[in-house]
Amino acid sequence: MSLRSIVRDVRDGFGSLSRRSFEVRLPGHHRGKSHGSVHELHEQPLVIQNSRWAGLPPELLRDVIKRLEASESTWPARKHVVACAAVCRSWREMCKEIVRSPEFSGKITFPVSLKQPGPRDGMMQCFIKRDKSNLTYRLFLCLSPALLVENGKFLLSAKRTRRTTCTEYVISMDADNISRSSSTYIGKLRSNFLGTKFIIYDTQPPYNNGQLSPPGRSRRFYSKKVSPKVPTGSYNIAQASLSSFLAHLRTHSGAFPSQNQLTIQLSLAVLASDIIGSRDEDDGKERPLVLRNKAPRWHEQLQCWCLNFRGRVTVASVKNFQLIAATQSAAGAPTPSSSQPAQSDHDKIILQFGKVGKDMFTMDYRYPLSAFQAFAICLSSFDTKLACE
Amino acid sequence: MASSTSGSSSSSKVVKIRSSDNENFEVEEAAAARSETIKKLLEDVGDDADVIPLPNVDAKTLVKVMEWCKKHMDDVDELNKEEMKTWDAEFVDMDQSCLYNVLLAANFLNIKELLDQLTQKVADMIKGKSPEEIRATFNIKNDFTPEEEAEIRKQNAWAFE
Repeated sequence: MSLRSIVRDVRDGFGSLSRRSFEVRLPGHHRGKSHGSVHELHEQPLVIQNSRWAGLPPELLRDVIKRLEASESTWPARKHVVACAAVCRSWREMCKEIVRSPEFSGKITFPVSLKQPGPRDGMMQCFIKRDKSNLTYRLFLCLSPALLVENGKFLLSAKRTRRTTCTEYVISMDADNISRSSSTYIGKLRSNFLGTKFIIYDTQPPYNNGQLSPPGRSRRFYSKKVSPKVPTGSYNIAQASLSSFLAHLRTHSGAFPSQNQLTIQLSLAVLASDIIGSRDEDDGKERPLVLRNKAPRWHEQLQCWCLNFRGRVTVASVKNFQLIAATQSAAGAPTPSSSQPAQSDHDKIILQFGKVGKDMFTMDYRYPLSAFQAFAICLSSFDTKLACE
Repeated sequence: MASSTSGSSSSSKVVKIRSSDNENFEVEEAAAARSETIKKLLEDVGDDADVIPLPNVDAKTLVKVMEWCKKHMDDVDELNKEEMKTWDAEFVDMDQSCLYNVLLAANFLNIKELLDQLTQKVADMIKGKSPEEIRATFNIKNDFTPEEEAEIRKQNAWAFE
């Protein structure tokens, strides 16, 4: 066999030589020539040679990208998957198919993840760095227990603008260029005059439109990956209605003093039954999910109202809060969920936010909120002074 | 096949395989049987086999694949594991064109372990590169529309922030 290999090598040498000159002379007529079958593979047009890797059989491409995806689970190495998805169309499709949404993988990979619901299992741990000098806020994904900007993956930024009738936070995917005219602008938060009510606006960028289209024209990964677990109908409703929902902030009339004076109540058009698990009454299916803030407990030793942030919040602040799903009575008012059977589910904290240092705050969120929504809700907490004073 | 029966023990039994470009090779059966595809064909045809045709693999690629099979013919003991690892690393270190051919051949011939090594190699080659560098490495044409391109630029800027 070694002799054969040598023979082959020599032949190949000739083969590639003749091929080169051949292609230059007659690029279009390579088939009917008398070079013999040995050269057949080499003689394929250059175009095909060029896109061979793009046309890798799906099972092989899937294997390659799965290996890449599995080996790079945390940032900054996660960017390798993003780079891979930017190579060509077939690779991009495969990356999208393999990389699961944060809801199921607990990982943020593509920017589209920022508007997708957070993980069902566990919290997505983030932190917000405030820059008072230029009124900007930057959201980072926690990569280590030490809360330093160097240890975080940048997710979103926001800039506060005070207008005559309202306060506006422009939210962007660019850490520095935060403006509504930029292509990285993805939405905004706007308050009313008093700062007691907020509306979140979502720009719905093009890539969302495709993924949210009803089944039929979608070979996109999103609907495909999600539909097995979540009824398509409810999912689309949830996504489509993101463009505006309300976050009411109001003083809680003396129920507990100074520390936690606000109640955050927002309506998400996610089916309440999806979170709360109960489907009571006939209109149960139609009801949007309402989140309310968890009532603090009176701490006898510290003589103050406390919330358990499990170590994620270290500084007492009026801004600290935890949101849980509210169960609604017939009157529609949010009530504590103690009477419900699946209590652990009801008490599941969907978003928590709190101070850890000067201009540093942690923000942990989970399904059904997205990073974008959670960030916007937290921004509203920065802006509550007027209502509280 | 009759000529090879004389005196040869079962361990050094030789099978004949033919590449897509009609090149015949004689390979030890133990090596050739690393390929599930060949193994299956051998079982099906039994000793009646004259030459096993492999219409999807050209001679150059087949030489390369059989080189791997020969090396991996026997079970490796602990002592040689490190040496084998080095050999494997050198083996998969080939130019992208050759790598592509061997990858497809390993897939067709169904050689699981070789396939694992090759796909891992490709994944490793992707790691740490920009999309442009990946395209250059694998000679891939950028086939995105301007709209897709804009979207991708945005994603990359964010990812590499």
